[in-house]
Amino acid sequence: MALVDASEAALRLLFSGDPELWGIVAVSLSVSLRAMLLAMPIGIGIGYLLATVDFPGRRMLIVVTQGLLASPTVVVGLILYLLLSRQGVFGQLQLLFTQTAMVIGQVLIALPVLIAFSLAAIQSADPRARETAIALGAADARIAWTLLVEVRFALMAAVCSAFGRVVSEIGCSLMVGGNIAGVTRNIPTAIALETSKGEFAQGIALGIVLLLVALGINSAFAFFQGESRR
Amino acid sequence: MSLLRVSALAKSFGARRLFAIDELTLLAGASYVLTGENGSGKTTLLRIMAGLETPDGGVGHYRSRRFDWQPYPDWLRREVIYVHQQPYLFHTSIAQNIAYGLCARRIDRRRRESLVAGAIAWARLEHLLATPPQKLSGGERQRVALARAWVLAPAVLLLDEPTASLDAESRRQTIELLRGFGSARTTTVIACHDRDVIELPDVRRLDLAGGQIVV
Repeated sequence: MALVDASEAALRLLFSGDPELWGIVAVSLSVSLRAMLLAMPIGIGIGYLLATVDFPGRRMLIVVTQGLLASPTVVVGLILYLLLSRQGVFGQLQLLFTQTAMVIGQVLIALPVLIAFSLAAIQSADPRARETAIALGAADARIAWTLLVEVRFALMAAVCSAFGRVVSEIGCSLMVGGNIAGVTRNIPTAIALETSKGEFAQGIALGIVLLLVALGINSAFAFFQGESRR
Repeated sequence: MSLLRVSALAKSFGARRLFAIDELTLLAGASYVLTGENGSGKTTLLRIMAGLETPDGGVGHYRSRRFDWQPYPDWLRREVIYVHQQPYLFHTSIAQNIAYGLCARRIDRRRRESLVAGAIAWARLEHLLATPPQKLSGGERQRVALARAWVLAPAVLLLDEPTASLDAESRRQTIELLRGFGSARTTTVIACHDRDVIELPDVRRLDLAGGQIVV
């Protein structure tokens, strides 16, 4: 019965445009989108280099990246916390418990996904694509751009997968964000907090939003994966 | 006049020596067919000349300019074009595929569009322009690839079995386009077994046998 009441209250919160609830959604999307904007060029760039340039340590770097795919976000948060805390190497920057710290954490979480998926996408491209670009006289930058455009759907799938991981992670956001209301409280940290207080309505409402976001991302992921195989 | 000359060009795969060509000279504006048994190294030779593979050793001369194969000089890439046996078309449009090399050469838009239109007319591709490249037949793809090369007016064109696995009509159309390169004063080397190509007028034969070129 309590669950039914809480669900009704959750729907009321969602449709009444509750400023606190939508503020939390805005923090979540803002942090994750900024993290993705930063991580995409770096991750895809490293993936491209790993796929196309042979250098000492390349193999090891690939193994490490694939290993980091399963890294617990709370460990990323712990390491970042130690680096950003007052005694840490970057303590002077005073970034702990800010959205910037959350963005940095999510960049670190997104990078292995983006690198590993981009690497796989570029390696699975038809080798004639690169050769054709070379044979037609393209310079290195144009060759890279051509190859990335050729595997664009697989890259979009990589981006969706990375976004899905960062928007729903809680460990890192909680540790380096601090769950400060109106500043660093995002959907996952708010759900955990509200549930621990026995306030289910807001938790359920935020859970619905997160589920819709996840569903949208996964639909896009499936679409891009399908397109990349055409 | 000698356009492209390769000397002491050797290539091995592991212990297997594919070829060790003492000398091969391509004359400006001449057309050649490169024949040889399967596995004799025809494709590898073309790919080396196009800078897509590196030989074990050898020296090259373009006109009178000496060059090394590794790294393959950028300036030579602008002169030599290679077309795969099964050409790859980018996932864009037919017109953008044809314009690719022109964009790489930073040809301005107006001139590019006019050159692409000329290439489309030359390869008779007008009725296919709305078709995605990936939906084209083998023969149509070959024609787009030839138009993409033709539009660049290369000094040297290297074609790997352009008529292989094409139906009779596509073969006829492709051979007709190949003649067009001869009249465009491009030096062409066509690796093939196709008798109709080998017997084209004014085509010289290069046979790759026993690791050597026999003229």
